[in-house]
Amino acid sequence: MKIKMSDKAFPYLMCLPAIILFTVVILASFIQGIWTSFFSWDGMGDMKWLGVKNYYFAITDSIFWNSIKNTVFYAFFVTVMKNIIGLGLALLLAKDIAGRSLFRVATYMPVTFSYVVVGLLWSWIYNPTFGLLNAFLNGIGANWAIRGWLSDPGIALYSVMMVDVWKWIGFHIVLYLAAIQGIPKDLYEAAEIDGANKRRCFWHITLPQLNSALVINVLLSLTGAFTSNYDVVKVMTNGGPFRSTEVALTYITSTAFKFSAFGKANAMTVILFFFVFIFGFLQVRMMTKDENYG
Amino acid sequence: MNIKSSKNISKIIIYIILLVVLIITVYPVIWMILGSLKSTSEFYINIWGIPSEPQWENYANAWNMAGIGQKYINSVFVLLLFLVITIPVNNCAAYVLARLDFKGKKAIYTYLLTGLMIPGAVLAIPIFTVVLRLGLVNSLWGLVLVYAAQAISFGTFILRAFYISLPKSLEEAAKIDGCGQFGSFVRVIMPLTIPGITTQIIFNGLTVWNEYFIASLVIRTPEKQTLPIGLSMFINQYGVNYPDMFAALVCVTLPMIIIYLLGQKTFIKGLSAGAVKG
Repeated sequence: MKIKMSDKAFPYLMCLPAIILFTVVILASFIQGIWTSFFSWDGMGDMKWLGVKNYYFAITDSIFWNSIKNTVFYAFFVTVMKNIIGLGLALLLAKDIAGRSLFRVATYMPVTFSYVVVGLLWSWIYNPTFGLLNAFLNGIGANWAIRGWLSDPGIALYSVMMVDVWKWIGFHIVLYLAAIQGIPKDLYEAAEIDGANKRRCFWHITLPQLNSALVINVLLSLTGAFTSNYDVVKVMTNGGPFRSTEVALTYITSTAFKFSAFGKANAMTVILFFFVFIFGFLQVRMMTKDENYG
Repeated sequence: MNIKSSKNISKIIIYIILLVVLIITVYPVIWMILGSLKSTSEFYINIWGIPSEPQWENYANAWNMAGIGQKYINSVFVLLLFLVITIPVNNCAAYVLARLDFKGKKAIYTYLLTGLMIPGAVLAIPIFTVVLRLGLVNSLWGLVLVYAAQAISFGTFILRAFYISLPKSLEEAAKIDGCGQFGSFVRVIMPLTIPGITTQIIFNGLTVWNEYFIASLVIRTPEKQTLPIGLSMFINQYGVNYPDMFAALVCVTLPMIIIYLLGQKTFIKGLSAGAVKG
């Protein structure tokens, strides 16, 4: 005999696995994070109630604030670079260019690499003795520009950030290119009849038409950079030299695992969470803006 | 005449810019492969060029010393188990959220979407705590559980868009053919969303394949390491030769590069889907 699923229960049963899994891991970890932030806890033994002391420790910890500063700077710098370079190259590619698809395929390749691979590869490119970058500068006679790209605290963070930019450029080119190619041609034709020049066309047609692509690209790179910085920094510099590349997530992780202070680590997680949440919220609003819930 | 030649010059400039960008993207990868074939002494002298005599044994060294075979098995296991869980779970939820009417639908959808606002890595330490409480530290199953949970929000979101785009009359036709609700979903509707499922496999699959942060917290012993952690551990070991390190890196990336080049259209489409919605 065929067991007939009740029509009423059917949609709920279908959602149930997703809801359970999401609750057990994501929601539980969220609650767990907030809860343990009020305790002194080494991650293993007994928990001791501390109230808001962990937040006090976090807020008064200058290394933490420095790491938050680096995180925010990282996110904004990387976002600006990715979008300016990505949009710029997409505009060039939108012209009648031979080899466009070759270019697209090649620049997209690093998108598929893990940050570990990309980070290792670039830490060797930056290597002072056998690195490609200094060898290149030496080769073109620009010896004055040679430096310890990852050992100089003044530039290490920039070196790390450029690796993130390198990895994602292809991704943004593809998104911008699709948006540019989606602009109706007759807009330009009409503008040409009205006697508008190239520059005016760009500012008055191309850019406004790319508005939503711009917003989504910026938000994607912002939320991405807020978290991806852990992998790159961990692999390339581990926060050094002299904490010049320390970001919030590397500091939180070493607080938890090296200093066994899970309570304080989670208090810092909660603080970081609010920074990231603002941008994540905007991104979801943007992605679901023209969606009807039905 | 004048306009034409200035047009040509600007074209040349464009090509030069694109060529430079192309070299900056591709040459590091080629350099990695060249470096993996050099001898230790040549490595420091011949930085740019082609190895004078390819040292294939670098690969054997790297493969054995880093235990890359085991790490591949672990990574493939995690990826497959992840897909086996994530595809049905997300499809079932996305389907009913897209095509059926029921009480609390909006609330469920909104609840599942909140995950999009919380990038997984931010919660890494609390997630580790949950894994610890579940007794799943140093278990690949625990890792998969986390990955599957993290994939729900995006997966449901993308797949729902696919299910919505299908014509309304499908369920009725299936009903006439005598299919039950679940039967019509599995036999008639799901096969039509293969492009959506492919998108999901590429996007989430790649994320899982490359994941480092949470894996590095959850996995505690070398024999359970996935490729990203295994690789970073191997490189940080004391006294490993650079050419061997390069060879290890190539062992991990080359298969990926080949798969990407074979399916580049699907890859680019699948990975961009998050932004342009399906």
